[in-house]
Amino acid sequence: MTVTSQRVVTTRSARASAHIGRHAQTIAIAVVLVALLIFFAFTADRFATTGNLFNLMRQIAPTLIVATAMTFVIGTAGIDLSVGSTVALSGSLLAIVLQNGWDPTVALIAIIALGALIGFVNGWFSSYQHIPPFIVTLAMLSIMRGTALRATEGYSTPIDGDLWIVQIGQGRIAGVPIPAILAVVVALVGWLVLTRTPFGRYVIGLGSNGESLRRTGVNTRKVGLAVYVLTGAAAAVAGVLIATRLSSGSSNAGSGFELEVITAVVLGGTSLFGGRASMLGTILGALTLGVIANGLVLLHVSPFYVQIVQGGILLLAIFANSKVWAKFGAIRK
Amino acid sequence: MTDQKAGRVDRVVMRDIRKRYGMVDALRGVTLRVGPGEVVGLVGDNAAGKSTLMKVLAGAVVPDSGEIVFDGRTVSFATPKDARELGIEMVYQDLALCDDIDVAGNLFLGREPRKAGGMLLDVRKMHADARRHLDALNIRIPLTDIPVGGLSGGQRQAVAIARAVTFGPKLLILDEPTAALAVAEVETVLELIKTVSAQGVSVILITHRLQDLFRVCDRLCVMYEGTLRADLDARSTSLERLVSEIVAHDTEEKEGRRR
Ligand SMILES: Nc1ncnc2c1ncn2[C@@H]1O[C@H](COP(=O)(O)OP(=O)(O)OP(=O)(O)O)[C@@H](O)[C@H]1O
Ligand SMILES: [Mg+2]
Repeated sequence: MTVTSQRVVTTRSARASAHIGRHAQTIAIAVVLVALLIFFAFTADRFATTGNLFNLMRQIAPTLIVATAMTFVIGTAGIDLSVGSTVALSGSLLAIVLQNGWDPTVALIAIIALGALIGFVNGWFSSYQHIPPFIVTLAMLSIMRGTALRATEGYSTPIDGDLWIVQIGQGRIAGVPIPAILAVVVALVGWLVLTRTPFGRYVIGLGSNGESLRRTGVNTRKVGLAVYVLTGAAAAVAGVLIATRLSSGSSNAGSGFELEVITAVVLGGTSLFGGRASMLGTILGALTLGVIANGLVLLHVSPFYVQIVQGGILLLAIFANSKVWAKFGAIRK
Repeated sequence: MTDQKAGRVDRVVMRDIRKRYGMVDALRGVTLRVGPGEVVGLVGDNAAGKSTLMKVLAGAVVPDSGEIVFDGRTVSFATPKDARELGIEMVYQDLALCDDIDVAGNLFLGREPRKAGGMLLDVRKMHADARRHLDALNIRIPLTDIPVGGLSGGQRQAVAIARAVTFGPKLLILDEPTAALAVAEVETVLELIKTVSAQGVSVILITHRLQDLFRVCDRLCVMYEGTLRADLDARSTSLERLVSEIVAHDTEEKEGRRR
């Protein structure tokens, strides 16, 4: 009797500590975000206006969309460094094909398909050929940036403001910027897929113990490939958002974008070693980065500092992720 | 032969299975048969090739050559899914569970109950069914929603066993299932083996606890350096004989090499 109840008690506390361990970083980032919001609201007088907050949402929309997909990739213990270059290539090509008279709808579909194809190549090399994704996507980063530069010859290409596609980046529905709406929808769908579908379950399983998952009969290579298709397509969408917002496609767009996306994901508590992923954390992470960038600009801090701060945050987040929060959790990698 | 004339087909026959890992000849032409409802004990030295042979049978390792006949049909397994679909379940010696996924999730991994036309996980049903299955097997894990990484070694092994037996297998492969278990839990597993084999499930049991083998097995197969050295009737074989089959070849070979 006493033995059994003791066992129940210890397992209950194991559950509690496991849950706290899993969510500690998400809770922490939520606290940090609230603190930042309060800080900037008091120090930067234009910060807490509806206009600025909508603007902030529009700014972080590309980051949030790609970070949602990146949460799946990192959940499998993978990484995709090529998303920034894919943003540049898709934005540039979109502007070029529109200039050549393509129908905007066709152009949009073609660009997203191209992004998915880039992801497919990344996924095929890393998942089917077992080449470390770090190397595969680093190579792809270079290839795609080079292709974008070659296609544009380094010039940026204007997009005609009368085309409907410009609304994707600049339009509003009921006063809310369309990119912000799109980002929220993508993040919610990502959350649903990660936590409530077999695919999301297999993503976690693959990052946790891929061989064990394979032995239960799941096609792990397909899962490992699919996550890169997600980041590829998401990066293309982000490229479209950025190009249509600026009414111009540039081969220099999205430089350092991969770093921002990965920082948002890691900041939210997703483990770089795979097996643990939090979509809520990713959303909070992207918001935090956006608030910092936006707030610093409003405080007239030199924009060059933003990059320094972001790199510092990434380092700090990884440190916290692997050293500090691990102590709370029952599971150690 | 007589069995087949009486209309009883072997549950599984593995013929001349070979597998090389680089310089290591893990399996050098193994032939093994198991009848319906039969319990076969597979023993042998460390690195004899027991786990490799069973992984071939479970579809987790693809052999270089050899033939597998299951219920009278020649089959070939490219993935564990192929074997699982035929009703072959295995408890692996290593890498059994996903630490970050909870108990119920591990139990149903690869065949989760679904809803909304197969799009979404039916998490509620998963936990309810997991509770039922664990209770039916007398496995004492109070909560099904904690990650298995937080469980003890024995509890983890119990979850792996539950996963293998829950879905009505025809052939159950247990690779050292009792290695991490306490005395009472070992008894539970041995009882379980008797129960399922009485229902017609074939069982292959790998263990280094030789005394357990005599309590549940019909036949004992001894492997030695990638070959099947002996196929013994468990009822007429003594422990001494079995031990000498496992180790005797060893000394003979070594002496042979020395000369
Ligand atoms: N994936 C692999 N890669 C390389 N060699 C392997 C692999 N799997 C097994 N081997 C080799 O095959 C041989 C047989 O290994 P196996 O695991 O089948 O032995 P075993 O009989 O199960 O031993 P034990 O009683 O220790 O579990 C060993 O020499 C082992 O090193
Ligand atoms: Mg073994």
